[in-house]
Amino acid sequence: KLPASSTLLVAGLKGKKEQKARTKTYSKITVTDKPDTLFQKVVVLVKAHDRAVLDSYEFFATMAAKELGITMGKVFEPPKDIERLTLLKSVHIYKKHRVQYEMRTHYRSIELLHVTGCTAQVYLEYIQRNLPEGVAMEVTKTTMEKIPDHILEPMWKDHPIDDKSSK
Amino acid sequence: MASFGSKVFLSLGRTNVSGVGFRKTGNRATYATALTVNSSTNKARGGKGSTGRRPKRGPGEPRTEKMALDQDWTSVYPAATPFRANAIPLPLRMGYPVKRGIPPEKKGNLELIKIPNFLHLTPAAIRKHCEALKPFCTEWPSALDTDTKCDEHFPVKIQSTDYVSAGPSIRNPSARVVHMKVRLSCLNLDDHAQKKMLKLVGDRYCKDSDILTITTESCPLRQQNYDHAMYLLTVLYHESWKIEPWEAEKTRADMEEYSWEDSTSQKNILDTLLRINLAGEGEEAEVREQLLGREEVLEYKDSVETLKNEEPSERNMLRYKEAVRKVLKV
Repeated sequence: KLPASSTLLVAGLKGKKEQKARTKTYSKITVTDKPDTLFQKVVVLVKAHDRAVLDSYEFFATMAAKELGITMGKVFEPPKDIERLTLLKSVHIYKKHRVQYEMRTHYRSIELLHVTGCTAQVYLEYIQRNLPEGVAMEVTKTTMEKIPDHILEPMWKDHPIDDKSSK
Repeated sequence: MASFGSKVFLSLGRTNVSGVGFRKTGNRATYATALTVNSSTNKARGGKGSTGRRPKRGPGEPRTEKMALDQDWTSVYPAATPFRANAIPLPLRMGYPVKRGIPPEKKGNLELIKIPNFLHLTPAAIRKHCEALKPFCTEWPSALDTDTKCDEHFPVKIQSTDYVSAGPSIRNPSARVVHMKVRLSCLNLDDHAQKKMLKLVGDRYCKDSDILTITTESCPLRQQNYDHAMYLLTVLYHESWKIEPWEAEKTRADMEEYSWEDSTSQKNILDTLLRINLAGEGEEAEVREQLLGREEVLEYKDSVETLKNEEPSERNMLRYKEAVRKVLKV
């Protein structure tokens, strides 16, 4: 129904209509009736080889959570892991001369409490898109659910005969 | 006059050539072509300059000098980009200093380029991004403030992990593991069903926190593992309500808790009391019932039950000692 933006440009009119066309394609917020998942806890564990990078990332993540209105639990630094290797220095013989390497992994844990499914999706996608190079992340989500309907009452009450079929 | 002279020279040249042979003509031809080539290149380079190439433009002043103090930094660094020394107006120095020197400057510094920078995520930028993301977020229901309320209305907890890392593949096989935690008190179980459930479940139940944990990782996808966990919970529930005919053969050794009624301890204490003749006169059965009703005997029963069911401690032992003393009137 709206004229194509190209024709408007040709005509030289940059009016409301073009902006309307832009905003229509930009924000596609669809509202569904499906109930949102509820996360009691979302724990984000970030791993990197550099502590300074994790400091900056923690500042970014905590500020983003505050701006989006997500309640934060503990933000702490688990102790680092160092993996050491001792290898032979030379290609052939010289067993007494070795070289040692180590790989340090620093961690940072951010806990979010009482997050809805939509908010968690938005926040996690934002966080993960801005994950710096060389940093890995593990996200542990704890979903809350009601007891399913088929567990509320045992089925043997209505059918006292022993049925071998489960559910 | 000059033209006549040149004609003469030309003719001379021609005669000379005819006199000598083919080589000179060849030479003349090459000489002529060489001349023409030279003149053409000279004509092309004439505009630029005959001596060497045109000089290159210098780098000029860095962009930092032209930056205003109140500029919009989010437009200078809108996305993650490597460090550009002439676009960042900060006097940075990074690297290990030379002897009796200072760390190297930012111009051409590889250390600053290597490390990931967060210049595109300044507080102003984060605020802008969050403003744009706000419409997509939903609010947490205000009725579920505390954890206890959440546990009351939503007792089943599903825990799963997602992994993000750089590598040859984005998949992680540990992402399919699902842990399901339920409080047994929230399920509709009667006495027999609860005992049977505990026997069926075994190690997966934690007595202190009353939480049953079902971990599924046998299916390849997380959704499948979740369905499997739900199926296991349903089966456990329905099976624990069933009463099989062979369950009637349950012996004292199969019981979960120690009960004092009809135990050897009861028989022993009653026999001992009868022998000491502490009981009154009368028929045996009546006397036994009377004894059971006595206070000291009940206290003895309590102490024995706590000793057997709970962990043996100093307090329980002392209580048993006191109870025995009272019963035997020592």
